[in-house]
Amino acid sequence: MLSRVAESLYWAARNVERAEDLARLIDVTATRAVDRAVDAERRWRAAHAVAGIACADGEECDRAAALERIVFDAESPFSITACVRIARRNAINVRAELTTEIWECINELYLFVEAQSPRAVGPDGTSSFLRSIRISAQAFGGICDATLAHEDAWTFIRIGRYLERASMTARVLRGVEDDAGPHIWQLVLESCCAAEPYARARQQSFDPVDALGFLALSAMFPRSLRFCLHEVDHALHRLSGAPTGTFANAAERTSGRLASSLDYAGATDLAREGAANVAARIASDLDELGAAITTAYFPRVPVG
Amino acid sequence: MQSILDRYAPAPAFDEFADADGRPRAHYEALASTLDGISNADFRHRVTTVNSVLLQRGVTFTVYADARGTERILPFDLIPRIVPANDWSTIERGISQRVLALNAFLNDVYHEARALRDGIVPRELVFSSRNYEREAIGVTPPRGTYIHVSGIDLVRDHEGTFLVLEDNVRTPSGISYVLENRDVLKRAFPRLFENYDPLPVDDYPRRLRDALLAAAPPQVADPVIALLTPGIYNSAYFEHTLLARRMGVELVEGSDLFVRDNTVYTKTTRGPQRIDVIYRRVDDDFIDPLYFRSDSTLGIAGLYDAYRAGNVTLANAVGTGVADDKAIYPYVPAMIRYYLGEEPVLGNVPTFDCSDDAQRSHVLANLEQLVVKRTTASGGYGMLIGPMSTSAERADFADAICAMPREFIAQPVVTLSAHPTLTPDGVAPRHVDLRPFALLAGDHVDVPPAALTRVALVEGSLVVNSSQGGGSKDTWVLAP
Repeated sequence: MLSRVAESLYWAARNVERAEDLARLIDVTATRAVDRAVDAERRWRAAHAVAGIACADGEECDRAAALERIVFDAESPFSITACVRIARRNAINVRAELTTEIWECINELYLFVEAQSPRAVGPDGTSSFLRSIRISAQAFGGICDATLAHEDAWTFIRIGRYLERASMTARVLRGVEDDAGPHIWQLVLESCCAAEPYARARQQSFDPVDALGFLALSAMFPRSLRFCLHEVDHALHRLSGAPTGTFANAAERTSGRLASSLDYAGATDLAREGAANVAARIASDLDELGAAITTAYFPRVPVG
Repeated sequence: MQSILDRYAPAPAFDEFADADGRPRAHYEALASTLDGISNADFRHRVTTVNSVLLQRGVTFTVYADARGTERILPFDLIPRIVPANDWSTIERGISQRVLALNAFLNDVYHEARALRDGIVPRELVFSSRNYEREAIGVTPPRGTYIHVSGIDLVRDHEGTFLVLEDNVRTPSGISYVLENRDVLKRAFPRLFENYDPLPVDDYPRRLRDALLAAAPPQVADPVIALLTPGIYNSAYFEHTLLARRMGVELVEGSDLFVRDNTVYTKTTRGPQRIDVIYRRVDDDFIDPLYFRSDSTLGIAGLYDAYRAGNVTLANAVGTGVADDKAIYPYVPAMIRYYLGEEPVLGNVPTFDCSDDAQRSHVLANLEQLVVKRTTASGGYGMLIGPMSTSAERADFADAICAMPREFIAQPVVTLSAHPTLTPDGVAPRHVDLRPFALLAGDHVDVPPAALTRVALVEGSLVVNSSQGGGSKDTWVLAP
């Protein structure tokens, strides 16, 4: 397929995934912040950090600020509004590649977000507003899987989705201090939609090492770092036709190395390194992987 | 209950719907009785639904004059325009004939130029046309097909006679509205279709693809088609995406293509892929910066060489613009007689050529009764409608005409036919035109029953162009 088209599909999928993850994060933070047990201000600061949006020391950091800055600020390239706009712009670029159902999903998400404002949403409407965004974004993934031929276009969407998802899980883990207690871990798990899957998988008393292990190393949970990296690795090999365990380009080499390093890692070792440190290390590997994918498939210099 | 049609009063023009006594014409009777059972509120509710569906689908266009570049839906009037079988058969014959003659003219103009020697079309008008491409001289496109796709605009005069208002044989647009209007109307308002079975429009993309395949370089066994778009800022971008999707061909921008050894390729994630037919929705000026506009960033360096070498088909071919130059238009009936030996089925609107001294004096003396058009403009831009103009506007046009007479033609005002249309004050007559699309493959013209009706939504207005506040209607061509 056209390199330009592949690149737009990849970025559309990354931005939709990011919008979904941010919507969930803010919803979880807002809900948890109502409880006295957590330091709300500190959680909102962590949410800003996950989004990559600065919140200066003296500045107020609460639900209203998060709604303004993380959801609606069209000037910031990191806000949900910006993600949705970028995703739709990329979808327009590849309108001819997308099925009508995919396009309508993303266009409706865009029209929905553009029609709202912090004032119109208000405190009581925040959760249902974020829920709508999350569901539309999830519908995008489902409609892609169910209406596109599972060929290269679909594969680039999958790469974008899982690479972004891994980045978001890493960013959430990055904000976990070494002394984080069960309340914080619960919030972290919920932010990754992992609380129920974790509870089901580990029917024992809560253990922070285990929670970190689950989010980083689970082979079955679809938002763990390991799971996401295997998806990216498979997808890349599907494009080139090279068998997994070998590599045809630098992107496959990076994804393969990362995925297998997680295959053989142990939760206790990770806990000793510290959740934040592990997350920072993996985040930089993911950046390297993103750059390698760009070099392999979206070259700036003309072919021929 | 007050029905939506209750207060309809026919226009002082040919009314498509009502006869001279104000009664529905035979082919509208069933629709009139369906509409009689629909209340104002119900109808307006359908309008809201349809508009939101169109917005969700992104059936939008960008208005160039609007600095904000806002996306707007083309206003869609839900009352369909019905074309009975006998009218359509006239249109089909007339359009086929005209397309064949215009295509023959292009072959002639870029080869022997017989019609110019024989005085059928004035030589100086051809050579002074901005869209006459010297680069195209002696180049023969596969099967001699220049005008693969055309959209010739028809109007009806006060007696209901169909006339050709203008020829569009470069990159006519509007078919996406035909396809989407029908689809949306069937979903949102199936009641309207009771007792009617209009010919389907949705096989247009297949017929277009067939015409493009037929035009492929003959040496290619399994031709690959691409649709070349100027990109997302083009007002017809939605249409380009729709046609690419429905035809199952790649939608490309100039930067996706490159030329090596006179062969065109796309840049793909699996390396270069050869392209044999380009349905280009980009004007001649912008296809190849080496031959045409060197400041063009839309074009592909070397594309014209590949075209001239016969390795790629461009649809439409390079240089067709000379045939739809408005100064050439008055000579099309003569072309039909000259090339085909037939009488024109569809007439022209009488036209004054401002480059002729006598005709120009007449035009200047009668500006108030005439419509003046720029010969190179389209989309309803750069027009003077005499009866509705101010004296200052007429003075400006008079100056411009004297300065550059070749750039203008003038026509008497044709009071276009009118059709019931929903307005803020209820259903009222509004002027309409009709753009059938024709596909030429070799010497066969295919006129799919997929024609665009445009409607001037402003009371009394005769300008139907979407860029000038026009809307569209679903157009039902009835089977014989």
